[in-house]
Amino acid sequence: MIVAKEIRKFYGNGENRQEVLKGIDLTVSDREFVVILGASGSGKSTLLNILSGLERADSGSILYDETDITGFSDSELTKFRKKQVGFIFQQYYLLPHLTVEKNVRMGADLAGNANFAEVIEAVGLSGKSKNYPCELSGGEQQRVAIARALAKDPKVLFCDEPTGALDEVTGRQILDYLSKVQKNSGITVIMVTHNQNIADMADTVVKLNSGRVVEVRKNDKRKTAYEIGW
Amino acid sequence: MVIGFKDALKFIGISVVVVCAAFVCTLFLNYDLDIRGLTNIPDEAIPLYKAHLSMGKAIAGISGCGLALTSVVLLVFYLKNYIDAHGKELGILKAMGYSRFSVARRFWIFGLSVLSGALIGFGVAYLYMPTFYRVQNADGILPKIAVGFHFELLLCLVVLPTLVFAGLAVLYAFYKLKAPVLNLLRESQENTIKARREKEGPFLKGLRLATLKSKKLLVFLIAFSAFCFSSMVQMSLSMPDLASETFAWMILMIGLILAFMTLLMSLSSVVKGNAKTIAMMRIFGYGYGVCSDRILGAYRPFAYVGFAVGTVYQFILLKLMLGLFFSDVNVPAYTFDWKALLIALFAFVVMYEFILFLYAQKIKKLSLKSVMGE
Repeated sequence: MIVAKEIRKFYGNGENRQEVLKGIDLTVSDREFVVILGASGSGKSTLLNILSGLERADSGSILYDETDITGFSDSELTKFRKKQVGFIFQQYYLLPHLTVEKNVRMGADLAGNANFAEVIEAVGLSGKSKNYPCELSGGEQQRVAIARALAKDPKVLFCDEPTGALDEVTGRQILDYLSKVQKNSGITVIMVTHNQNIADMADTVVKLNSGRVVEVRKNDKRKTAYEIGW
Repeated sequence: MVIGFKDALKFIGISVVVVCAAFVCTLFLNYDLDIRGLTNIPDEAIPLYKAHLSMGKAIAGISGCGLALTSVVLLVFYLKNYIDAHGKELGILKAMGYSRFSVARRFWIFGLSVLSGALIGFGVAYLYMPTFYRVQNADGILPKIAVGFHFELLLCLVVLPTLVFAGLAVLYAFYKLKAPVLNLLRESQENTIKARREKEGPFLKGLRLATLKSKKLLVFLIAFSAFCFSSMVQMSLSMPDLASETFAWMILMIGLILAFMTLLMSLSSVVKGNAKTIAMMRIFGYGYGVCSDRILGAYRPFAYVGFAVGTVYQFILLKLMLGLFFSDVNVPAYTFDWKALLIALFAFVVMYEFILFLYAQKIKKLSLKSVMGE
């Protein structure tokens, strides 16, 4: 379980100092699919970065099963990320000079996962494992990013607008795959998006506006990626 | 305008190499031209006179050509990096309808880095010349040599290199800008397509190889910096026995400047060029040590190879020079200087590892958010 208490974050100094997160409280249960919804500038990506240990909050605490990560040193945060979390970004951030296989092994080798080929196969890219990212379509690149994240067996998968750069067909495929992985492997998924339709796929929807949680909604039934609007 | 004077300032590495090249060439060629005008040379001084004539041209030729070639390599390296880093702006200009030449011609400004370096080197050489002439003729064997100003040297060592380098910059940019607009906008994808297929193996091993393959020129530059350090430091340590102390200091300073500038700029480029890779590794949970070892440490073997080549080079060069130019002059026989090798090696290990440590700290300070936000 992840518990965020009174998270505050400021950017800038002096007159330009802005409070981006204004005391966020949030609880995410194990194996839950949470969507953080908000418009551009609402603070959703900052919250995701703080929850995942990429960025530090200015105040508040984040507990992973009662372990507070806010007091962690840089090396402790590195170890934490290594063991606990995986990331998927809108811009994929694949390493351009490495093949699909090597990109996936970036995650797999960290976890000592020798079955990385199975993960590549699972995302439907086994025929392209020797290709370079620039030889793949956007959807394929995002699937590599997903494989890379999953290959390290994370307990929590953080996704920052994973379909933001994709067309509808590819976007639905990616969401469908993510949703199935989450259900089957039982990992926790926290996804940031501005697309309200995607919220229907989640167990819990957290709506953010100007750095505050304005709504927390539980979906009775999760829709599939092919049932939601776009 | 996309390219301005501030961009030219980033080419300070080239300026420094050109300072060294212009300094050495001006000093020795001016000396060569001045001693040619000497008359009434005593018979007993003729071997020394001939040795000085040959030595001046040889040193100016060897070091001048070497440094000029280094400058060309550096120029191409920086221009390539500049075009890669500013591909988007250049792509937008092309997309808007600017012709290749109208964008490329603005690259003439990088010739200023050569102009400034050449002017400084030329000027400093003239300031140092009276001392140099005095030291060269310290025994008073040759008649008194007056420092003369030779306009043709200004033309050949300052004006001409500036024009050549400015032209080279424009031509290179013109060539690189032939890439389609979309390729420029999508950052340097061309390189990745051309990359050779990788062998199977762990990620970190693959990363090390990919880092080296992606920028082969950096391998050369880092090896070259070690080569400069090794050859110049060892030569300078052997010099006092063979030539003057002033000469030894001059060689040492040039060697250190070249080595440091090339090394610092190469490593900066390594860190900058791999910032996103490092950030991604950090995000996934790879420690600082692993990141710096795999990215910076990949170049270490090449640095030590460069050092070894520099050692052999300086030995052969000194042996040849003494054999060819000073065979008739009374100088001590030259044998390999093991003491100089040990001192240079120790100094190099300390310097190289300290600089790597500093850059590892730089990696530590990379802000993940700012890198990913680019």
